[in-house]
Amino acid sequence: MNKIKITCTVNGEAVCREVYPNQRLLDFLREELGLTSVKEGCGEGECGACTVIFNGEPVTSCCMLAGQAEGADIVTLEGLSKNGEMDKIQKAFIEVGAVQCGFCTPGMVLTAKALLDKNPHPTMDEIKLAMSGNLCRCTGYAKIHQAVAKAAAE
Amino acid sequence: MNNYSVLGKSEIKVDAVEKVLGTAKFAADYTMPNMLWGGVFRSTVPHAYIKKLNLEKARALPGVACVLDHTAIPGGNRFGIIIKDEPCLVDDKVRRYGDAIAVVAAETKELVHEALELIEVEYEELEPIFTVERAMEEDAPKIHGDSNVHAKKFLNFGDVDAAWDKCDIIIENTYSTHRLSHMFIEPDAGISYYDDQGLLTVIASTQNPHYDRGEVAVMLGIPANQVRVKQAATGGGFGGKLDIGVQLHCALLTYYTKRPVKIVRDRRESTMVSAKRHPITMHAKTGATKDGKLVAVDVDMVSDSGAYASYGPAVIGRAPVHIAGPYECPNVRCSAVFYYTNSPMAGAFRGFGVPQAAVCHEGQMNALARALNMDPIEIRLKNAHKVGTVIPTGQKLTESVGFADTLKMAAAKAAEVM
Repeated sequence: MNKIKITCTVNGEAVCREVYPNQRLLDFLREELGLTSVKEGCGEGECGACTVIFNGEPVTSCCMLAGQAEGADIVTLEGLSKNGEMDKIQKAFIEVGAVQCGFCTPGMVLTAKALLDKNPHPTMDEIKLAMSGNLCRCTGYAKIHQAVAKAAAE
Repeated sequence: MNNYSVLGKSEIKVDAVEKVLGTAKFAADYTMPNMLWGGVFRSTVPHAYIKKLNLEKARALPGVACVLDHTAIPGGNRFGIIIKDEPCLVDDKVRRYGDAIAVVAAETKELVHEALELIEVEYEELEPIFTVERAMEEDAPKIHGDSNVHAKKFLNFGDVDAAWDKCDIIIENTYSTHRLSHMFIEPDAGISYYDDQGLLTVIASTQNPHYDRGEVAVMLGIPANQVRVKQAATGGGFGGKLDIGVQLHCALLTYYTKRPVKIVRDRRESTMVSAKRHPITMHAKTGATKDGKLVAVDVDMVSDSGAYASYGPAVIGRAPVHIAGPYECPNVRCSAVFYYTNSPMAGAFRGFGVPQAAVCHEGQMNALARALNMDPIEIRLKNAHKVGTVIPTGQKLTESVGFADTLKMAAAKAAEVM
């Protein structure tokens, strides 16, 4: 299989790599770029653990090919803390106690980030709808929703 | 405020920062120089002898470091948390869909998949057993040894047979709970390697690193002090990561290749082979006076515990003890039998059988309330455990019995929101 060249922006930095046409975006980010905050929970777009922000939209990177990233702007959780300063969503997740095992957390935080970038003051119903593609198996969702609302209020 | 440093205060979770930053390392996040990927060839039939196993085509694939079956295991080939009944790699017969038959280590994930496709197996299929009813029949094939019963418990408190005459009402019902998967969000994963002191080390997603260490040592036939198991940040378990996961297979491949080996199960494999909640069928006979006081509870329970015992012997200890629920009853009897079948293995799952018992005792309380035309909360409060209650194990409760207060608050909250 011949590799294809892709050029994209990941966490604000230009990236140019050769990838296999059948390589998933998830594996490209984890294995080629070492961005292991991107988690694989189900591999079929159901759980949201592999969520990244792709041109401003939260997407499940297990269901995209690396080749589709050509020209795209991608943000993973590693790109969210600027100069060591946590994003307000990350701070709110800690303060509210919206983290238990932590495996769904990267996807949760990024989905919340994509929501607040577009809609800085969402209602609780809008928060619940936006977060509905990310599954948590430990805490339930109340604290996660509260954390997003707290971040939005700041 | 109290004088404790933590109790009664809102504290930041110790690992919250690394988890919101995404820097917490889960087992699949580890990678090492010279690392191989591992994978497992699993049965696609539930009950069979293996007539032929051909590993040669897989071994011949360039980039494949190692393909092993049970003959390669240097030590013991039976493990399990309470009863040692599960093979690391099948040696006599397949007992469930998804039993591990061979392991592969290769230079890339893709090569592992290719090698697994090249393994050929021929089965002599046996009648599979998927129900308790069939498992208990005398002519049923035996999953292990000469009986399909893997555990029995009997609880007897008071005199149930003499109590029925004192009852104004007797209610009989049968309850069945189903098999459940924990569906922890992180599929099982692990990486094994020899550390710089020559210790075989496994970093894994696990709830049981100390048990894992013992199992790995027995399987390799080496002293436990030559094995180290470290728990990575673990993405949920809920009991489902108490059984050993990828650790044995990783360790065996590292033992032969002397290289780091990583195995990451996909969701399908993880769900297929991890333990499930015990499905339990409970036939219950409950007697009470006409004003709703429990007099006798008599329950027969059976469970399809699957191909391996796992935590079944612990679950069968808890479910009967809780069969009358948080309700006073002077006469309680429970007979429990768990059976081996060719179903997915049942094991530890949040509550160890107690939630299944609750389906039975709560169903019976509702049935009694309906038959006696009583309020379902009232009948529960009338029978609620309190300080001084003697429970069916003979233990007298002397303090901290919060059930009645909890139920009253829950009822008030329900009235508010419903």
